[in-house]
Amino acid sequence: MQSDQHSDSPDEVDEAALTQVMRIVPLGAGILAGSAVALLVLGYLAIYLLVFLPRGTVG
Amino acid sequence: MRNVERLCLAHFWVAFAAFVVACVLGTWQMWVRSPLGAHLGTPGQYFMSVTAHGVAMAYVLTTFFIMGFGYFVAVTALDRPLPGKQWAWSAFWMAIIGVVMILVPIGMGQATVLFTFYPPLTASPWFYIGLVLVVVASWVWCILMLVAMREWKRENPGRPVPLAMFATVANAVMWLWTTVGVAVELLFQVIPASLGLVQTIDVGLSRTLFSWTLHAIVYFWLMPAYIAFYTMVPRAAGGRLYSDTMGRLTFILFLVYSLPVGMHHLMMDPEHGNGTKFIQMLLTAFVSIPTLLTIFTITASLEIAGRLRGGRGIFGWIAALPWQRPAVLATGLAFVMLGFGGFGGLINMGYGMNAMVHNTSWVTAHFHLIFGGSVVIMYFAIAYEIWPRLTGREHMSLAPLRLQLWLWFIGMMVMTLPWHWLGLQGQWRRVANFNYADPLIAGWGPWVIVSLAGGVVLLVSALLFAYNLFVLHRGPSMATGRQLYALAVHPPQRVPAALNGFGLWNVLVLVLMLLAYGYPLAQFAITPSPSAIVHRVY
Amino acid sequence: MAELHAGEMHERYILKTELLWAFGVGILIAATLSVIVFTALTMDVNPPSNVERIDPKTLHLSGEFAEQNLGTTVGADGSVTARVIATQFMFVPRCIAVPRGKRITLRFAAPDVIHGLLITGTNVNTMVLPGFVSQVHTEFTRTGDLLMPCHEYCGLGHSEMWAIVQVLPENEFKPGQDGRVSCAQR
Repeated sequence: MQSDQHSDSPDEVDEAALTQVMRIVPLGAGILAGSAVALLVLGYLAIYLLVFLPRGTVG
Repeated sequence: MRNVERLCLAHFWVAFAAFVVACVLGTWQMWVRSPLGAHLGTPGQYFMSVTAHGVAMAYVLTTFFIMGFGYFVAVTALDRPLPGKQWAWSAFWMAIIGVVMILVPIGMGQATVLFTFYPPLTASPWFYIGLVLVVVASWVWCILMLVAMREWKRENPGRPVPLAMFATVANAVMWLWTTVGVAVELLFQVIPASLGLVQTIDVGLSRTLFSWTLHAIVYFWLMPAYIAFYTMVPRAAGGRLYSDTMGRLTFILFLVYSLPVGMHHLMMDPEHGNGTKFIQMLLTAFVSIPTLLTIFTITASLEIAGRLRGGRGIFGWIAALPWQRPAVLATGLAFVMLGFGGFGGLINMGYGMNAMVHNTSWVTAHFHLIFGGSVVIMYFAIAYEIWPRLTGREHMSLAPLRLQLWLWFIGMMVMTLPWHWLGLQGQWRRVANFNYADPLIAGWGPWVIVSLAGGVVLLVSALLFAYNLFVLHRGPSMATGRQLYALAVHPPQRVPAALNGFGLWNVLVLVLMLLAYGYPLAQFAITPSPSAIVHRVY
Repeated sequence: MAELHAGEMHERYILKTELLWAFGVGILIAATLSVIVFTALTMDVNPPSNVERIDPKTLHLSGEFAEQNLGTTVGADGSVTARVIATQFMFVPRCIAVPRGKRITLRFAAPDVIHGLLITGTNVNTMVLPGFVSQVHTEFTRTGDLLMPCHEYCGLGHSEMWAIVQVLPENEFKPGQDGRVSCAQR
């Protein structure tokens, strides 16, 4: 049965390298994900203001 | 693993067989309603196909896959045999009987009511009873998941439940809540009507009960994909999960917020007023939170992996990721589709904006992209990851797997993006054939053909997927594989009880459901809708 | 020991960044919701909100949706109302005359199964359920013929179910003695 506690698999992460990397993470993720969400919101507002509202009031 | 291989494989093969057949049907449907197939197919055939396609994709592919995956996680994440395996097999066969009972009436033209089966359109009782059997089988699965977790906790007091299992049980608990709506609708309204025990039916009530299930069910489908994101992909990429805590929180948020928002499917309905619809929109805004958290957490996890592999600069880690691994590739493609699909979803939920898109091809585009795209591509990734462990064999080459994933992505984008555009033009849903002589509709023709081309690519991808799994059974024996489940940057030693169980969250679900659905449902008891006559289609 | 300490520092840092992210997207969601709420209140943009029951089994016999009352009528106070029945597999009437630039109330009922409709190029969109009257207010801004299909599956004839909405300029939108306006013959 495969346990996920300790392993000798080739992808074992070196704790020192992890600490090093964690100095920058999550800057790249923040910018990438943040840009994506910002684009989403802008696209949403664009459709709302430029396509939806001009089609007239409704209620 | 020898405990559940056959159980898991049985579920997966049923799921994927239904999937491939449904893809064939879907492609045929797109062909006959396009200018290229304008004189082919009768409405009877078309809507029979739509019913079968919807049932296969929404009920068979999903339920069987999720059950099989759950059994796999319960054994591998908890490192113990599955409790109640006999019950699991009984449930499987009950579900198989249910599927046959659903499909035969469809094939005989006695259940052409589509997978949403809105009354008063009423099909043969076998169709509905078959559905009930599948749902009851899934309830057995839910109970087994709960039992497995409880037994592990007893043997491991104070330890955090492994995230993959915690999430699976969150999904099981949510599914138990989710099915209440459609179960009540079927047992008290639709099946009596189809048996001829009642001649009329309260349509406002049935729509509202179905909406209880209709939105939460898509999160039932989505959770396995997110389980893969949190517990498998970081390991596949060679890194760590950024935050185990956020993973737990995400699945709890899905459990809590998926259910009370169903009535946003009723934004255009006349049986509920502004107040209810406004509250629904607010609650729906909350259900976007777990996805937004996930986008950040998984991207950060991938950033760790990329930087560990030498990626530098703000975005250098992206290219450094091991994209040749199917799980990583699928995740990247899933996130792109999640962006577009999520965009469509935000517009669907937008109170007034729903009026612009309701029941147009925009809706069809949205759910094919978000479910057929982001979620199903992760089902592929999961299958590719665990099939070797189930069969004890290795993929001979990863290239056909990557090709299949790319084809799925390209096909899905080409198929669904035109549908968004057509939906804004006013193209409406569930149409067997369009009158391309009408100048407005003629303008849609070329885009419908583009969409069809996307669908053909998807069909090729679906066939390649089945082929890739099939040949794996004859592949070379597996050497020691890499570990499946990811570790967190900070693997938790202890977690608060609230992040290790569901007692508190069940209470919250109950409270939210009372707030959201309490009055809307009670109004049908206080002031029953004038009932409509049952309209049998068999 | 040091590893544990580093792990906890990681954990606190990680949670801080997650909180920062959650805060950021929270602002975006709040901003988007504010836009929706603002326009809903000031520009009269809402989903259909009138909850009104009607017996589907008798609506064609008498009362508001009897055949002679269907179509567009101008009331004594100048208000314009169009009454349409959605049934398998057509709308009655099949052509609905509406004025350009004037607020109109559209009212729909169904005697049989669930239907739905939209009017192309506008935000008019509603389900029509047997048991309820669906009501939408709007104002058409451009003259011309608009397509009004049934957009919810209502049976095998669903694909052929649609009506035309004829938006007439002011000088052509003339009610008869009984207040009714029919589509212009073209």
